[in-house]
Amino acid sequence: MSTPVVIDAHVDDEGVGVRLPRGAQDRPVDLVFDEQRIGSFWLERDTVERDGGRFWAWPGPLRSHLVGRTRVALVDHASSEELYAAEVVLGEPADAEQRVVVADAQGNPLGLDKSMRLMRLFADRSAEHLDPLLDSIEDVLAALRSCGVEAFIAYGTLLGAVRQGGFIGHDSDADLGYVSAHDHPADVVRESFRLQRALVDMGYPVTRYSGLAFKIFVQESDGTRRGLDVFGGFLREGVLYLMGEVGHPFEREWIWPLGTATLEGRELPVPARPEHLLVAMYGESWRVPDPAYQFETPAGTRRRLNGWFRGTRVQREEVWDPYYARKRGRSEDRPSDFVRWVRRRERRAVTAVDVGCGTGADVAFLARHGVNAIGLDYCRRAFARKQRKLARRDLPATFRWANLTEVRSTLVTGALLAREPGPKVVLARHLADATNADGRANLLRLARMVLGGEGRLYLQVLSAPAPGGDPLGVHPIDVDGLVAQVEASGGTVVARHDLAGERPGQTDPGATPYLCRLVVQWPQ
Amino acid sequence: MKNVLRQYRDQAGLARRVRELEAEVQECRSLNLRVAELTDLVAELLVPLAGSDDPRVVEILERYRAGVSDPAGPSPR
Repeated sequence: MSTPVVIDAHVDDEGVGVRLPRGAQDRPVDLVFDEQRIGSFWLERDTVERDGGRFWAWPGPLRSHLVGRTRVALVDHASSEELYAAEVVLGEPADAEQRVVVADAQGNPLGLDKSMRLMRLFADRSAEHLDPLLDSIEDVLAALRSCGVEAFIAYGTLLGAVRQGGFIGHDSDADLGYVSAHDHPADVVRESFRLQRALVDMGYPVTRYSGLAFKIFVQESDGTRRGLDVFGGFLREGVLYLMGEVGHPFEREWIWPLGTATLEGRELPVPARPEHLLVAMYGESWRVPDPAYQFETPAGTRRRLNGWFRGTRVQREEVWDPYYARKRGRSEDRPSDFVRWVRRRERRAVTAVDVGCGTGADVAFLARHGVNAIGLDYCRRAFARKQRKLARRDLPATFRWANLTEVRSTLVTGALLAREPGPKVVLARHLADATNADGRANLLRLARMVLGGEGRLYLQVLSAPAPGGDPLGVHPIDVDGLVAQVEASGGTVVARHDLAGERPGQTDPGATPYLCRLVVQWPQ
Repeated sequence: MKNVLRQYRDQAGLARRVRELEAEVQECRSLNLRVAELTDLVAELLVPLAGSDDPRVVEILERYRAGVSDPAGPSPR
């Protein structure tokens, strides 16, 4: 049942349908469930045409919470006028009186941020909950200052401080930025590497997002672990480039000397003329609140930032991080047919390195057979569970974080693993067909370093679309091209098996092959 | 008609060239990150390693140096 107040709307299990008056100006509305603001969207921009009206589908993260009764309201963000309200029942609640709850396991209210992730938003937090975050911001700013860069609050945090002296209600995290004294992309990347090292030496865990941006994790006084994004920037030929969205004509005097602005009662560093940076970040209309703001980074800026700094997290955000976040707690991780096949051929191997080990099922299999088994993956979450389990059982298995799209990680990992006892074998199952060209080149480089001219690299890749659909994150690759790449690296493909299934014996001998196994060797 | 065809071919060719050039520019840009990574690695690892007293390290460095230097003795010219 819906009772239109100002606009004609309809709410059901799929989403929100609205009929806008002819000529109505597009505007952001807040979605409210029983007094709790859930998120915001623009009536035109963020909706799609459906049945002669506009339609906004429930974002994925919200769907699992949509069971029960609630009073849904659409509120004009600027005027706070309620445009629509109705009591609705969503999903199939067991109890007819059950209310919709959008909260985390501890009962803290959650809301949608501008990227449609369900987060604890600032609007739902009390001042005492903000204190630990403010302490963390000050700690990290001080740490960066001690490393020689003058960092300031950036993006939504800067916007909130300058516009209203506090956090923006619909934001969920704090951002920091700095502008390098260097003006060449390679130099600002080196500086960023140096900063990461210095911060790690100080005891801060850091994860890198690109050559010029990283996240610092801080243990807050209330026990939560929070990540603060630090975006690097630099001035080049009159343009300020700041990760991850800015490329705008800029003056040095607009940055230095840094000034201050008040954020929730604390004085924090900001650029000398913060309004210019806010124009660069949010456009001329930065003073007008837009809870559903979408960055419209010019293509030229995106190309430059991508070309200079990005490309080291191939498929992580898109595929693997969400996959392993969902997979947590599930246990379907049996050793592959591939590892059994390799084991039958390499019974003398003392050390095995599984590159792209995922959950570590193959590493566990090898360790159970007494092999010094080492799993490498760029998604630490993937193998964390198995790592704990195998450590408890005292099996000879170790796991290391390594990223094949970072040259530094590849070379230092290769150098360290070269010291492991031989005979050695390197395995990579559906890795060459999941990474990019840089990743493939570094995989060969790593294998060659680890093997040191003894032992073999075993690869399994998809050579054609798999009959039941390709495995997650994997795409068929040109095997002849891969063989040529092996030869260019000085290696030889000593065996090639084109298969129509993981277990060749059980498949129809006439079936079309779509899997390929390669065995590679390098001379001493 | 021929002119229209030629014009179309020229424009299609130009669009292809622009795509190729864009790809080549990106390729050049991405070298910045690689150069930074390699320089970082060398500065952070090679320099401390070179300070080691291990004779094998000295031998490797000397051998590497020999491979990037002019030959010893009088100049070939």
